[in-house]
Amino acid sequence: MTTSDPTKLKMTKEIGLPSIAFCVARVPNSGRLIFGSSDFKLHEIDVLAEKPQPVAFNGEGHQSYVTGVVLCTPNIAVSGSYDGKLIWWDIEKREPIRTVSAHELWIRRLAVSPDGKTIASVADDMQCKLWNAETGELLRQFSDHKPITPHDFPSMLFAVTFSPDGKFVATGDKIGHVAIWETNSGTKVATVDAPTLYTWDPRQRRHSIGGIRSLAFSPDSKLLAVGGTGQIGNIDHLEASARTEIFDWQAGQRVKEIVNEKFKGLVEHHVFDPAGQWLVSSGGDNGGFVAFHNVETGKTLHQDKAPMHVHQFALNEAYDTLFAVGHHKIAVFEFKPETPKPAEATPAPAAS
Amino acid sequence: MTPGSFFCGSADHGVSRRGFLSAAALGTAGTFAADMTQLDVWRHSAWAEDVKKKDKRVILLWLAGGASQFETWDPKPGRPTGGPFRAIQTASSGVQISELMPKMAARMQTTAIVRSLNTKNGDHGGGSSLMETGRRKDPGIEYPDLGALCAKELGRIDSAVPDYVSLYSSTEGRRKGTSGFLGARYAPMFLSENMVPENVRRLETISDIDHQDRAALRDLLAKRFAQNRTSDVIGSHSNAYQRVRGLMASEKLFDITQETEAMRAKYGPTQFGQQCLIARRLVEAGVPFVKVARAWWDSHGQNFETHRELCADLDHSMSALLDDLKERGLLEHTLVLTFGEFGRTPQINPSLGRDHFAAAWSASLSGCGMHGGACYGKTEPDGHTVAEGEASAGDLFATILAALGIDPLKEYTLGARPIPLSDFGSKPIKEVLA
Repeated sequence: MTTSDPTKLKMTKEIGLPSIAFCVARVPNSGRLIFGSSDFKLHEIDVLAEKPQPVAFNGEGHQSYVTGVVLCTPNIAVSGSYDGKLIWWDIEKREPIRTVSAHELWIRRLAVSPDGKTIASVADDMQCKLWNAETGELLRQFSDHKPITPHDFPSMLFAVTFSPDGKFVATGDKIGHVAIWETNSGTKVATVDAPTLYTWDPRQRRHSIGGIRSLAFSPDSKLLAVGGTGQIGNIDHLEASARTEIFDWQAGQRVKEIVNEKFKGLVEHHVFDPAGQWLVSSGGDNGGFVAFHNVETGKTLHQDKAPMHVHQFALNEAYDTLFAVGHHKIAVFEFKPETPKPAEATPAPAAS
Repeated sequence: MTPGSFFCGSADHGVSRRGFLSAAALGTAGTFAADMTQLDVWRHSAWAEDVKKKDKRVILLWLAGGASQFETWDPKPGRPTGGPFRAIQTASSGVQISELMPKMAARMQTTAIVRSLNTKNGDHGGGSSLMETGRRKDPGIEYPDLGALCAKELGRIDSAVPDYVSLYSSTEGRRKGTSGFLGARYAPMFLSENMVPENVRRLETISDIDHQDRAALRDLLAKRFAQNRTSDVIGSHSNAYQRVRGLMASEKLFDITQETEAMRAKYGPTQFGQQCLIARRLVEAGVPFVKVARAWWDSHGQNFETHRELCADLDHSMSALLDDLKERGLLEHTLVLTFGEFGRTPQINPSLGRDHFAAAWSASLSGCGMHGGACYGKTEPDGHTVAEGEASAGDLFATILAALGIDPLKEYTLGARPIPLSDFGSKPIKEVLA
């Protein structure tokens, strides 16, 4: 059980960055964040330091935006990039250990299994690939995602996640299609669709926007949250409400539809709390937000704006602190229950 | 209509370019007296040159909304403004373009790039007007756009096909184009809702013979009326009627089912690809200017995803078009252009978009009159400003006209006022001309 209180959400720190941070992983039990960014580099920053300063990793790195990073062990990070490569890094030395040409097109996201032994990567070649986190060996690959949209344009495979028990992997694409796979066999076990997250404009602008940007399983692995944005009128902008749909994926049924009435743009990332009571989502348009929703009712418990469009976040072990990375900023949010004030001393009775 | 000068539109009856041109020359000579706009040519004894000039065609692929130069012709990989995409080597030594355009990279020998446009107007309306006419608006004059200029300079008065066809299917930013002071004769045949022109079919209640008889009667009466009268208006009115049957018959040119399945497949399934195929059919039949608008590139949000979609469409369709024109011997006589109202900002906004930007952007010019593989101008490393070879909209227009064999300094006279074809002070960019 966590002791967090989403209604107490407040931003406690905001750190400027020269680049756009797309992905983040946190070194356990610390304020040390490893983040990938638009300068093609992986960086480390200790956000709990008095004056946090990002430090770039060394050596031959990526050749494009770094869009995914996971920690397999407290000292090994793996990053993925639009250059199609996965790079294993020694965090303490901040140097590369291994580089693997993983995908033919842009890697959009990485996920790591709960035991840290398997890494999943998804890319615009529409493949999901599972990798041995220790050796870098390709274990298997699968896809249920068409490379071309129904409107004859290239599709994109944006999102991937493992279930908390590690048995399943879910992948989500541009047109709102989700496939769920058995991790050990690569067998497809279910599909669900969230077509509202994909907007095709056939008349005014004749292209599309949106797609599934975030996937998260509930703690019992029965529910799958699918995040993105709703149907957009003017697809020049991310002007629709941020949107999450929750599926009972084994039954193939959508059980909740969470339309953010306050914030627009994409849900870039979301996570269930360990008790499965709330779901935190974050993302944005030109601004950003952090929102907590009651899983059972779908209602918003509490939400607030973020100082930037958030691309990803990490939570601490107590699930009461959120480390968000995004557009030229890192922000730290806390949602801890208020510590009861010490009981005030009973005033002495006035002298009569 | 001169026999043999009209391509019926079917693949089986395609007229060769040379056949078309000789027929065109004969047809032009036969009816020249009626062409009030061509009298200057006679006076200057430049008949041979004029015929040569009329060999030229233009297809403008109008990138409506403003395509990003970073994701097309002027990539800046590794720079803070560069975005995620790589630059790839093209078939022209030392010239790299975005990896989103791999097919065009392989065809760069046909294409010149101008990377140094500074057009100073980042507003959709103003920028469009500027890039349509090659000059800023003048309250006293309505200037013709490039299509109308080319229709006048390259078209034939007796043409059985339209002189200026504009296809703009999407609704956003839709602009019809204008013939300005050149008058309605050079206005575009504008297709917005369908890819086949509307209202050009003969009414079913009138037989073809009846239609021809009516035209002959009208012609007889018009000639009697015109006797001993000298008026441009009468000539123009009469000429418009002479063109009717040709325009009616041009419907088939827009019907791509007349092409083989293999040819349609080359252009791909998108509407833009299909419109590029129509453009090829039109220029092959002698239409001097075709504009195909591909909307909408205005990527304030999700610039990279937008360009991944739209560049794939542009790259494939444009490559198919250039290949097809080349295989038919038409590319050396057809200038294929890509530009819109402006480019996009170096800065990447929080929605991962790029905004309007006119201070340093790019255009491409392929085929006719161009030094393929040339790359003119340079932007500074982050693309904020032009570093070398700044070019205006007028310079681009002067270059286009020069490539077509039209003197950019040639003047129209509007009242007593001389109006040069390209803006005052503009110059062709010689480095990209063949």
